[in-house]
Amino acid sequence: MRSGAFVRTRMFLRSFAIQGSWNYRTLIGGGFAFALLPALRAIHRDGAEARDAAVQRHVHIFNSHPYLVGVALGAVAELEAERVDPEVIDRFKTAVRGALGSLGDALVWAGWRPACALLGLAFVFAGAPWWLGPVVFLVVYNVGHVALRTWGFRIGFRHGRNVADVLRRANLARVQTDVSRAAVVLLGMVIPLMLGNGGGAELRPAWIAAGVVAVILGLRSGNAARTPIVTGMAVALAAAIGYGWLT
Amino acid sequence: MNALLAALAGGFIGLDATSFPQAMISRPLVAGALAGWIAGIPAEGAMLGAVLEAFHLAILPIGAAKYPESGTATAAAVFAMALSNPTHGAGMLLAAVFALGWERVGGRSVVLARQFNEHIAPTGARLAHASTITLRHSAAMLIDFLRGAIVTVAGTGLGYVWIRVLDSHWVFGPATAHGLLLASAAGCAAAALRVFGGWQARWKLFVAGAIAGLVAVIA
Repeated sequence: MRSGAFVRTRMFLRSFAIQGSWNYRTLIGGGFAFALLPALRAIHRDGAEARDAAVQRHVHIFNSHPYLVGVALGAVAELEAERVDPEVIDRFKTAVRGALGSLGDALVWAGWRPACALLGLAFVFAGAPWWLGPVVFLVVYNVGHVALRTWGFRIGFRHGRNVADVLRRANLARVQTDVSRAAVVLLGMVIPLMLGNGGGAELRPAWIAAGVVAVILGLRSGNAARTPIVTGMAVALAAAIGYGWLT
Repeated sequence: MNALLAALAGGFIGLDATSFPQAMISRPLVAGALAGWIAGIPAEGAMLGAVLEAFHLAILPIGAAKYPESGTATAAAVFAMALSNPTHGAGMLLAAVFALGWERVGGRSVVLARQFNEHIAPTGARLAHASTITLRHSAAMLIDFLRGAIVTVAGTGLGYVWIRVLDSHWVFGPATAHGLLLASAAGCAAAALRVFGGWQARWKLFVAGAIAGLVAVIA
């Protein structure tokens, strides 16, 4: 028996909590079974034993980017409804979990999220009202977030075990490249706004110069620059407080 | 400031980071503004959140990586700043440095919660039944909520002492504190270029953005 609209809606809503029981043994395995439960209940109405057996098959190790997990949830719900051999379902889950993780990480964590955050920061450092930057970030980010979850769910249910082909054709890597390009432009904008506007209090030339040095270090070294920059700031603070204490 | 409201906000921010719903309320940019609004210092909270966001742009929660928890630390720092009412000009700098340290404690608490989840989450045939799986999953989320609340409230207390004691010894005025903080934040923000492809591949776009930013500053 295929999942109806009510069951699909419940699965979709549950998927927002897919990482609720994240652990180092099964990663989001428990969450996957939790989100799939409405479909398993609808499919195995005939007996608690069959339902429990189905749940136990899905609590094992699984991982995916949380926003793209709907692809696997939808496809697995379809396979379960067709009473496909559990070993085939297991092989399908193993095959898609790496791709769903790496695609989502590149598209969302390394693309969409920092791009939207930079958009919010541009508003804050340009001197907009205090609430505007955070609100712009939340709204723009979550339009993309919910759209991606919805799309993943739809293609999972529609294409079942052939969903990998659809993911390839969707060319998400191209989307990620475009988002990254937009983020670079925003990053270039935000840095002069931070150092030039100073977040509402004009910075002295010496601090602008120090900021430019820190920016060059960041551009050259990437995230490896974070520790020396933060340590340098903390040491300068400690020295200034020490001076104040002694005088 | 209402302690219960602060704990609820901390719990929800902690929950949002991983468990539910990952809508990015837990990002420093939002958590700072939210905490500032609750504590009655919205503009200062939003600015501290924005600065801390710049520090975290290049940190990615890839796979099972262990990373600092910036949301609860930002909220605790903003609450501490509001409570301590610093008058010597270093309040935001001290709050930011505190947050950058406290986020390590928050990150460690996430690791402990995930280890604990191995015992209560529906991880095997013995624990996984259709009738109990929702309860077990919800219990893990409740623990995450409580973890976020405790980390935020404890951080607020420690941050209060940190800012209260050290701000009174700051003699260089607000401009120096602000300059040191923003210069450091700009350096960490620039590090995100590598996430987007690096200097070699993206320098033209970066320079185009920088020119637009300079024009906006001058205008």
